Amino acid sequence: MLWQRKHILGLENLSKEEISHILQTAKPMKEVLLRPLKKLPTLRGKSVMHLFYEASTRTRTSFETAGKILGADTASIAVAQSSVSKGESLLDTAKTIAAMKVDLVVIRHAASGAAAFLAEYLQAGIINAGDGQHEHPTQALLDMFTMQEEFGDLTGKKVVIIGDILHSRVARSNAWGLTKMGAEVTLVGPPTLLPPEMKALGVKMSHNLDGELEGADVVMALRLQLERQQSGLFPSLREYSRLYGISSQKLKKTGRKTIVLHPGPMNRGVEISSELADSPMAKIEEQVTNGVAVRMALIYLLAGGTSNVMA
Amino acid sequence: MEGITKSRIMDANGIRRALTRIAHEIIEKNKGTLDVVLIGVRRRGVPLAERLQNLILEFEGVKLPLGILDITLYRDDFSTIGFQPVVHETDVPFDVQGKQVILVDDVLFTGRTARAALDAMMDLGRPQRIQLAVLVDRGHRELPIRADYVGKNVPTSRRESVSVCLREVDDSDEVLLMEKPG
Amino acid sequence: MLWLKNVQIVDPAQDLAAVRDILVKDARIFEISVTFQEEEVQAKAEGETLEVLDGEGRLLFPGLIDVHTHLREPGQEEKEDIASGAQAAVRGGFTSVLAMANTKPVIDQRALVEFVRAQGERAGLARVYPVAAVTKGMQGQELVEMMDLAAGGAVGFSDDGHGIQNAEVMRLALEYAKLSCLPIISHCEDDALAAKGVMHKGLVSARLGLKGIPSCAESVMVARDLMLAEETSGVLHLAHISCRQSVDLIRQAKKKGLNVTAEVNPHHLIFCDEDVQLTKTSLKVNPPLRTADDREALLEALLEGTIDMLATDHAPHTWEEKARPFAEAPFGINGLETSLAAVWHYLIAPGILSVKRLLEAWSLAPARRFGLAGGSLKPGQRADMVLFDPDRTLEIKIENLASKAQNTPFLHTKLQGCPVMTWVGGRLVANRE
Repeated sequence: MLWQRKHILGLENLSKEEISHILQTAKPMKEVLLRPLKKLPTLRGKSVMHLFYEASTRTRTSFETAGKILGADTASIAVAQSSVSKGESLLDTAKTIAAMKVDLVVIRHAASGAAAFLAEYLQAGIINAGDGQHEHPTQALLDMFTMQEEFGDLTGKKVVIIGDILHSRVARSNAWGLTKMGAEVTLVGPPTLLPPEMKALGVKMSHNLDGELEGADVVMALRLQLERQQSGLFPSLREYSRLYGISSQKLKKTGRKTIVLHPGPMNRGVEISSELADSPMAKIEEQVTNGVAVRMALIYLLAGGTSNVMA
Repeated sequence: MEGITKSRIMDANGIRRALTRIAHEIIEKNKGTLDVVLIGVRRRGVPLAERLQNLILEFEGVKLPLGILDITLYRDDFSTIGFQPVVHETDVPFDVQGKQVILVDDVLFTGRTARAALDAMMDLGRPQRIQLAVLVDRGHRELPIRADYVGKNVPTSRRESVSVCLREVDDSDEVLLMEKPG
Repeated sequence: MLWLKNVQIVDPAQDLAAVRDILVKDARIFEISVTFQEEEVQAKAEGETLEVLDGEGRLLFPGLIDVHTHLREPGQEEKEDIASGAQAAVRGGFTSVLAMANTKPVIDQRALVEFVRAQGERAGLARVYPVAAVTKGMQGQELVEMMDLAAGGAVGFSDDGHGIQNAEVMRLALEYAKLSCLPIISHCEDDALAAKGVMHKGLVSARLGLKGIPSCAESVMVARDLMLAEETSGVLHLAHISCRQSVDLIRQAKKKGLNVTAEVNPHHLIFCDEDVQLTKTSLKVNPPLRTADDREALLEALLEGTIDMLATDHAPHTWEEKARPFAEAPFGINGLETSLAAVWHYLIAPGILSVKRLLEAWSLAPARRFGLAGGSLKPGQRADMVLFDPDRTLEIKIENLASKAQNTPFLHTKLQGCPVMTWVGGRLVANRE
């Protein structure tokens, strides 16, 4: 297919063909990643700016590694040491970056729509590295890549996503992406974290984990933000863990070879038991490796050419 | 393939004979098959390399290791082309360190693909020597590159193009000289 | 003297909707008749210069009265000031506006009320009536000096911009305001339920990952305030009603005969949450755009009279403030210059709302509720009036806006129906001809 996008803002608006193309492109990228000499000349002279308004070591490092392997020049602006803390608006910061003639901007921001906002005002290509509670497309793509490595075609595969769905951009992106790839997604969480309006994502919802595990090919535990307890969204870690935490024991109910994913960082003993996290079922480290490959694919697709840009 | 066919440069027999000769030359030049490996450059270099592998197996009873090289990520025209070339996997399932690498491609033209292939090879390790085998050399080099094994030298003009068809991908074995439209 | 000929006069107060000639003299409506003879008019002019205007194909309304505007002065003049707001008002067909008290400083003292009035008079455009705060500094604790403020010209009391969270404070306000006979205008919003949301809590907020403000954040406060109004026999006006539940509560309260009125904003009748996009901050407003079903309930309520008034909730913000990610942009829609045209375009032209009901809701009812001049074109009334061209298209462009701010969702669109001339006290203050 002919790649025509200038930005990756979310999976809601990508087609199945586009998602497949990204995942397909990530395969040769992973081969490069596994070489002893991992450096390509492909994007020599292209620059990628990482604009991170939320602390995130792993996502930022993953993007930087991906850009560097492809030969692009990468730079980072983290919120703490920048003019952002001096009250400069996102727009002004972005304009400054644009004036440096950056080809691609990777942004993480606490506000939903921050990436779309930049795409509206800047010439550069934009990759959304997580915008508020809206989308985290690269995480969902690496999750899908990891599932594809395990199962091949995702059609009919049963994926159970557990936890704080309401506040999760990972859950949203995965729901959009997996549905397009033909998987059957079930969202599971307590009613306060999985309220009725989440049916907007168009997938099955349940408050009862035990009832949903049977036949699950993939079980994904989301990170529980512990401060949600103070907001009264769940009564205690103990009760949360008992109802929605996953363990090898609980996963016996799937009755098949299930893989376990987690976007990290994990709260061991809360949403996932330590023994499960370290078991062969868990593909959590594989997810990290695949994250670099998927981000390489995206950077390549968005910055690889110059005249193909159609928003 | 766009353009109109001007002539057929090689037919199936011509291709077979050229490859047979190249296979012999490879064996002769490398004094046998020790440490020789074949690397097909995507896309039509791959079936050509496979055919050479089979011919050498026939002549010498040795099955040479075969790898596949995708040079997309090593192209030098990313800032000028108007589309995103699709990247495919490189699959070289052996160590190239100290090997006699035979790079196999269909057409040698400007030399830019060969340059990209050489860079791609270097990133995989440090071979003892790299040689280049092509089915057709049509001239017009833009880089100081030449082939070690050539199926056929074909003088062409820049307005022409050479189209290699192989059974494995195109349903027929032939090499056509085309006139570009416009 | 102004002689406006052949114009379709619509004035619900006199039950009039017909082509008439109208004479304006000494800042007041002088006489309305099917037609006048030249000599007759000359005689009535008594030597004054006679200005004759042909209104054929146009409509003449009593000037609109907007009971809910934020003119930002004093303190936030970069967004708007009273002069620019009043200019926007008359260009939009409004001859009187109520200016909300959430300025910096808050309008909670007589001197500030008088300042707002004086700035309005200085501008000499729309009549600007100050609304004073209910509580000092809008802190929701101590009541303002209501009688002193009323004497200074306040026409109502409101902490609009923020709901009064403490029910006892609200009860006391309703009790004490009875002394002044002025309404308490309630911004119904429960802070804990709204919980820093940025749009309606529903399917769209779930999809966009934006924090939602549930309908109950409004309706529980509407219920509370109605009960307190019943308990105290206070005079209550409910600002910017946005959801079906609130409408149902108001309907019941009116059946019981409570002294309560309510307003709806045009954007809640035109848009719904499905129109919200992450980059469309011009639709970020509080209360938020709710569902299509809520919109239907609001329209029904306006048509049947459960909702008494239309009001813009004109809330200007600078371009920079709105050029932010959705969650970080301020709430508010710039309404004075576009609302009448927008309501015409979306509701009157398609036949959903009648012109008569429009004028009841945007001129007559506001005048009556807040005891203001205007609201009617009866002879003897002050000549606050609007000449409206239902066929003319109004193109909303930055360079055409008198308001300092451009935060309207109608920017770069064309609206059918356009106020062409506006008179305040017989003086022509806006003219698009």
